[in-house]
Amino acid sequence: MYPTELLLLLLAAIPYTCLASNSAERFDELLTVRPLRDGRVATRFSFIISQADAQPRAPQMISEEDIPQHYSLFPLSLGQVLREYAVTEAHLSLNAGKWDYGRWGYPDDSAVAPGAELWAWMGDSELSSIDERWKGLRNALAGLFCASIGSLDELRTTSPAYAFRPEGALPRFSTNQTHRLRYASLPSEHVCTENLTPFLKLLPCKSSAGIASLLNPHQLFDADWHGMGIHVMWSEASGVYLQLSFQAVFDPVRLSEKQKREFSFQSLFDRTISKACPVASESSVEVDLPQNAAYSITPEPSSFRDKVGVFDIKEAQRLPLNVSMRYAEMVFQYPLDPPDAQLMDFEAMRTLTGSTQSRGRLNLSIRNNRAHEIRLIYIETMPWLVTFYLHTLELTVDGRRRDDLLTRMTYTPPEAHGRPTLFEGRLTLPAASTLRLSMDVSKAFLRYTEHPPDAQRGWDLSPAVLVPLSAGNNSASLRGRRVYTPAVLVDVATPDFSMPYNVIIMSSTLIALIFGTIFNLFTRRFKEVNIDGTTEASEQDGVIS
Amino acid sequence: MVALAAVPLWWTTTSITRLSLPEGRVKALNDKQLRFSLNISLDTNIPVSVVDNVKEGLAKRILDERLDDIFSVAVSSGLTHNPQAYEVSLNEELSGIHVEGRRLITGPESIPLLTDALANLLLANFGHQDQMVMQYAPRYRLAFSLMNEDAASGDSPLSWDVKTAITRDIQPVLQKLLALHNFTIESQVQFFAPLAFEPVNLANGSFGLSQEQLTVFVNSAEWTLCSPTESTAFIIPQWGSISICNPDKQAVSRLSQRALHPSFSVFRTQLLALLGISPLPIGMTTSDVISDWQLDALLRRRAYENAKGSKETLDSIVSLVDQIEGMPVGKDVTDDVRGALDALDSMYAVARDSPQLALNYSARAFTRVSRAFFNPGMLALLYFPPEHNLAVYTPLLAPVSVPLVAAVFREVSKWRRSRRQSA
Repeated sequence: MYPTELLLLLLAAIPYTCLASNSAERFDELLTVRPLRDGRVATRFSFIISQADAQPRAPQMISEEDIPQHYSLFPLSLGQVLREYAVTEAHLSLNAGKWDYGRWGYPDDSAVAPGAELWAWMGDSELSSIDERWKGLRNALAGLFCASIGSLDELRTTSPAYAFRPEGALPRFSTNQTHRLRYASLPSEHVCTENLTPFLKLLPCKSSAGIASLLNPHQLFDADWHGMGIHVMWSEASGVYLQLSFQAVFDPVRLSEKQKREFSFQSLFDRTISKACPVASESSVEVDLPQNAAYSITPEPSSFRDKVGVFDIKEAQRLPLNVSMRYAEMVFQYPLDPPDAQLMDFEAMRTLTGSTQSRGRLNLSIRNNRAHEIRLIYIETMPWLVTFYLHTLELTVDGRRRDDLLTRMTYTPPEAHGRPTLFEGRLTLPAASTLRLSMDVSKAFLRYTEHPPDAQRGWDLSPAVLVPLSAGNNSASLRGRRVYTPAVLVDVATPDFSMPYNVIIMSSTLIALIFGTIFNLFTRRFKEVNIDGTTEASEQDGVIS
Repeated sequence: MVALAAVPLWWTTTSITRLSLPEGRVKALNDKQLRFSLNISLDTNIPVSVVDNVKEGLAKRILDERLDDIFSVAVSSGLTHNPQAYEVSLNEELSGIHVEGRRLITGPESIPLLTDALANLLLANFGHQDQMVMQYAPRYRLAFSLMNEDAASGDSPLSWDVKTAITRDIQPVLQKLLALHNFTIESQVQFFAPLAFEPVNLANGSFGLSQEQLTVFVNSAEWTLCSPTESTAFIIPQWGSISICNPDKQAVSRLSQRALHPSFSVFRTQLLALLGISPLPIGMTTSDVISDWQLDALLRRRAYENAKGSKETLDSIVSLVDQIEGMPVGKDVTDDVRGALDALDSMYAVARDSPQLALNYSARAFTRVSRAFFNPGMLALLYFPPEHNLAVYTPLLAPVSVPLVAAVFREVSKWRRSRRQSA
């Protein structure tokens, strides 16, 4: 009986080999270097691994044995997590610092929220709920990236309806398949080398070859702004698509002794590219060339494309590659404010005012830099400890009340000690003016155990997210791309954490006093004393006088 | 009044849920013993004297290995056609011993070896702790990795035909083992995986690894090693196996199934060793990938190990809960313990007839009892060591002790004074 079975297996193997021969995995890497107006240099490493024939796991099949997974370029450790929790699309970013939109413009990778941010689209299934899988995904990624994403729990999870649309496509596993979003952010997360090491392990060439060899933690974590992003999505055409990106903003003026803004790979990363990654299909460095400054770039780029110099690392004679940019100026002159052209269509600032620990006022001001109207979606998520008073919501434009500029408002109220607040709305920014939005908030009084270890520091509140819907004439520029406001810190009433010990000490002293007095009374001997003055006062014979 | 009114609140907030465990049932387990019955029927063309010999020989062997309370052997003459029974028949033309299904065919000159052969097949290291064998799990993850030291050096294989190699070399074995385990298969390629040490340069132009280097091959000093020398493959106990691929002179960018076959047949053998399948005794042949004799022996052994492990863990839970008074015992823990006990009871009931069912029940028992043992609710025990209590109450004890110590001093000095006066 057995030989036939074996034969069947051999036959079944033939289509497999056909599939395997045209390897469907592909790896591309790209380094973008962009000199900024304020003398800084924005760099972005982008590693794209795609599996053309792969599909996300259907949540209906989660209880059954998964099909064998064979990866050659795609990282196995991440693949396991995605299969285990049947995740269709996931985005994780770990950033440190505040992205300065006004000076640096829009980032190459829009995920620049301070701290940790995770959002995922997952298919609905009766077998295991999305919340269970979301919890599993959080914990698995926390373990994979050595970050405290595990604490992005129900207290911080929301499902905004508009801002976080899937960037890929959502497959239909069954006829009435629905997908749902889970979003959480943790602005107080600190990003450091322990997060970069697992990030590098996901790359096919690690940090040994290709542009990834420039990822030197000593230099990256010294940068003014740095952060990493992991994006997994799926589309019919490209299959499962993983983009790993690392962004850093360096300040060569700060690093140079002569206040010059010239830079090279050696000065920025303290490394050069000496080997090409053998499995990368495309591997290149793109340097934005300055438009209004005299400069020289060495070596000569392989090709030029629209004010961008392109270096192809696959050309062996270019290695080792150390791109260096020099300017024909003695000292870098910082541009005077305000510069001629605004980089962003709009700029937002958010503050929390109010001096008491129980009340405050949330202020958001958005300046429209363009001469046309801009419409955008505004999303505010708050942990339950900050509650909005929606009736105090006020919108003003140049001092005049304009409540009509906020439309399509949805509000998910918080649940004490549980669900966070979610506020979404559509804002219209009148041309070339500043919109101010403000409302009263109340700060909760927390339970003793709910305070974080550094309670006096306060709570970091997630950034507000603004998504432009249309930007008038040049609508292609920013449409659908998220802009984050900086995180704010809220000061809630903190108890005196030494209080229990004070109580113990005080009551102990009290009891000790009572005990001493009663003990004294019990052990003292009382004697009669003659007071006629002739006899001596009797000698005291008590234990304690 | 306030203190009295606060008592119920204090009581409810400080009491710990401690449900009672079925200690009696756990204790009763010690009297129960897993028993397997082995029915061997010999074909009628085998002489009766041989039947008696086999019967006595097997009984003696079982007694020698102290397994008489686990195995009961029944040897009969004449084929019973019971699917669970092992059959032995004689083939005049055969030399040596051939195994097929639950059937053993012996040649005439191998008849004297029959008792030993049967004992080796049926008992197969039963009850011996083998350090190499993995702990039982209903599901294993098989990960195949192709590691290159430095893919940029130019002559490294960047891809491999792993799917075909697995279907040809590994899949038949896994198919056979489905009764015991489910397998999740995955593979990856690592392009930069340098060794943490320099291999020894041997005299004949090749490189070698010393025993010490093998222990740190996977960058961990914990894994001990048992490996044949003069080979390119070695096994890491309870973890996996490693095969070093020495490519031919010309560089290949893709390893074909043919090139992978030597490594993958080593993987197959080592996988069987890791899963605890004892090899066929020397001199025996089989046309199966794994014979039913080996599989049954493994089923019995795993069932026995699981039952033993469950029993020991149950004992530890009971004694732990007894020892630590502040340890909470929730409903999920008692449910798991009861479930494990039920599964063990079912296992004892079916063990005689079906080692397969016995294994399933024992696996269920072991899973549930492990879950109970590692229940996070039990870890959150209210444990205040006496030192902590003392530290918290120091502000009370120190001032209270002052009048007491002073009183003792006074009394002692008074007693001394009175003694001196009387002297």
